[in-house]
Amino acid sequence: MTTPSLNKRQKREEYRRKLGEQTANDGEVKMPQKKFFRQRAHANVFSDHNLEYPRTPNHMDWSSLYPAFIDQDPTHTNLSGARKLLKDVEVIDIGCGFGETLILGLEIRTSVSDYVRSRIRALRLRQEQLKGTSQAPTTQQEETQAQTERLPDAPAPEDEVGTTDALVPGNYENISGIRANTMKFLPNFFRRGQLSKIFICFPDPHFKARKHKARIISESLNAEYAYLLRPGGMLYSITDVEEYHHWILRHFLVQEGEDVSAGSVKHLFERVEGEELENDPCVTVMSCETEESKKVTRNKGNKYVAVFRRKENPEWPA
Amino acid sequence: MASLQHPFQCLQYAKSNSHGLPNLLIAAAGRHLYSYDATSGQRLDVWPQDVESTVEPVSGTVPATEGDAPPEKRRKLSPASGGQQEQKPAGKKPLTGTTIPLLVTSPDGKYVIATTGDGKTIRVFELNHDGKLKELSSRMMPKRPSALALTPDGHTILCGDKFGDVYSLPLIPGEYVRKIVEQPVIPSATSLTVHTKGNLRTLEMQRLHAEKQAQTAKQETAALKFENHNIIGHVSVLSDLISVSVSGRSYILTGDRDEHIRVSRGIPQAHVIEQFCLGHTSLVSKLCVPSWAPHLLVSGDTNGNLFVWDWRNAEIHQNISLEDTLQSEAMVRGIWDVSLEQSGASGPVNVILVSLEGSSQLLCYTIEGNALRAQDSIQFSGNILGLIGIDSRGTVVVSVDTVRDAGSTDNWKSSSGALLESFQIIFGPGGLKCVQTEDTMVANINSVGTSDFPAGLDEKQQKEFNDSLYNLGNMKKKHYEE
Repeated sequence: MTTPSLNKRQKREEYRRKLGEQTANDGEVKMPQKKFFRQRAHANVFSDHNLEYPRTPNHMDWSSLYPAFIDQDPTHTNLSGARKLLKDVEVIDIGCGFGETLILGLEIRTSVSDYVRSRIRALRLRQEQLKGTSQAPTTQQEETQAQTERLPDAPAPEDEVGTTDALVPGNYENISGIRANTMKFLPNFFRRGQLSKIFICFPDPHFKARKHKARIISESLNAEYAYLLRPGGMLYSITDVEEYHHWILRHFLVQEGEDVSAGSVKHLFERVEGEELENDPCVTVMSCETEESKKVTRNKGNKYVAVFRRKENPEWPA
Repeated sequence: MASLQHPFQCLQYAKSNSHGLPNLLIAAAGRHLYSYDATSGQRLDVWPQDVESTVEPVSGTVPATEGDAPPEKRRKLSPASGGQQEQKPAGKKPLTGTTIPLLVTSPDGKYVIATTGDGKTIRVFELNHDGKLKELSSRMMPKRPSALALTPDGHTILCGDKFGDVYSLPLIPGEYVRKIVEQPVIPSATSLTVHTKGNLRTLEMQRLHAEKQAQTAKQETAALKFENHNIIGHVSVLSDLISVSVSGRSYILTGDRDEHIRVSRGIPQAHVIEQFCLGHTSLVSKLCVPSWAPHLLVSGDTNGNLFVWDWRNAEIHQNISLEDTLQSEAMVRGIWDVSLEQSGASGPVNVILVSLEGSSQLLCYTIEGNALRAQDSIQFSGNILGLIGIDSRGTVVVSVDTVRDAGSTDNWKSSSGALLESFQIIFGPGGLKCVQTEDTMVANINSVGTSDFPAGLDEKQQKEFNDSLYNLGNMKKKHYEE
């Protein structure tokens, strides 16, 4: 019985290897197929895994993830000797799943993050080919607008995100993905106040009560998100699990009758509502364009959105 | 076989603020807490009380201990019999479950805080003027504390655990009315969020179960019966915790198994993270902000790294690799800042002393500028477990492992060595010199001794004791291939 699974694994590895070797000159660029990136739905966030993470944010090599943004001056290197970028990553998507088009997707499940990287690579190659055939000017600098300005006519086979047959602003050079356990190691990647947006889309609901401590939203993790977000920065959350939505609200907002005499991280956030929420293009993308959101739509599930703004730190107590 | 005595795994100095009252030395050995006069070395009290009379091992049944002391495990001793096995049926608590792993004294020298029982209970004692330990409170934490500290004002206990949480508890618990928020159990999944047949069936079972539960009596929630606040959380093992006050601002520094040092504001703003001091390459085993140089942090890890930080700005001043210097594996176990009065000298001598897991060598440093400068190290007769500086006498007292061979965490001696050793630091023209000294207090404490290990421990039981005293190796991350 072991032979077929071994074969399957061999096939999978062979497939991924070939995919990794394709270049823009190979004719039609093949998009990765998910069936070769199977992965269990959950990952244990408390285990040590075999994670790679930089010692400090100044040791992080961003150049291999964003080659189009490398600072041309080769003497500009960080503490690990890697080339610096022209600008910092400031938008992250925690638990990006199989391919949100945000700036840096962080995903703990190995296969899923491999898939995201393969797809981004393929998308970039496709863009390179398209550039060769058309003269359409492209901009590489419109980082945050990339996902909102995506061409609307993109068909979405298998809920896939990302246009494969037209040039898009940014040419997907501004997006990337890495494998990381954000519950443990976000401060290794980003400095205090480096981020302007954090997306948490359809997080693992960990339905069982005893698994709730593995949830990506908690008061102690929110303190870390507050550390990474600059004042005015936003944290976006969306879930299809109503109970989890209330959990999120409960962990960001002071509840009636709650004792906050020992201080609370909830003082560092305020909820964004009404017109501001409706006019935020990120909310639209998060609720309608991401892969998981399309799946929820197809299953006629509900979507619950909660967005919070990072307030200034309080004055030190006298 | 000569009997083996429990070493002092913790050592604290309670310096009295009021005149006329004695300074005390508080020490924990095995499951006992001792208080000594820090001048004469006279034993003033021992907790729990019922063992006061024993130099010989207690046998027979357990007498009721005072107060609500836990049913501490007492071993019936039937010497030279094979009775060990039957006394330790499967599933029974290990022998070492009743030590006192953490011990703290308040800055005013009035209170002692210790974790006892199975290590999950925080007990607060008041020190009377005659050095007696008066138990004020005992609070059982949800998880076994791995780090314990007091806020600089001495009013609040901070306690970190294996699950990365830090709780604050008032030193003296007041009236506490527990608020129970009744939350009906509702499955969070719905038929819209799960889709497979099996999951849908489970969901239906959960719904039925919840209905049943609601009908039966209200559940006893796991809420603690005393005031406590979860103020900080790491998704990791919390390995050390200190609280300091600099320029009128208070901070909490926490270290974890994932190489992080986190600098948070003090209560009530512990949710504001000021910095992460990143640079360690393994579990951060010890944090020390020297009292005479509070702008600096000296930290150590289980890869033998020492760092000196400008911790408020997360900048590294210095990184020392002890594995390189010593040419061997090294895990930093203790870092102490000691300030000693010197007769004839213009000011006190300030030193940073560092001990390593399972090592009898004490590393000695001075701070020059913003960096540590190595001085001669000092060798002791056993592995270094605890240390205090008695400033008025210019003496440093070290508790050593009486049971295991120096340099080993698992080789048992046939008879105990001395419990305490002392030395003085002399500032000479050639730098610092450490001179081991005779000290009446030390001699008296050593002569009275502590309690005996049960005789005839088998290898497995010895290992339990080893692991309870030397746990850094087990806590350290193992690197394995995926």
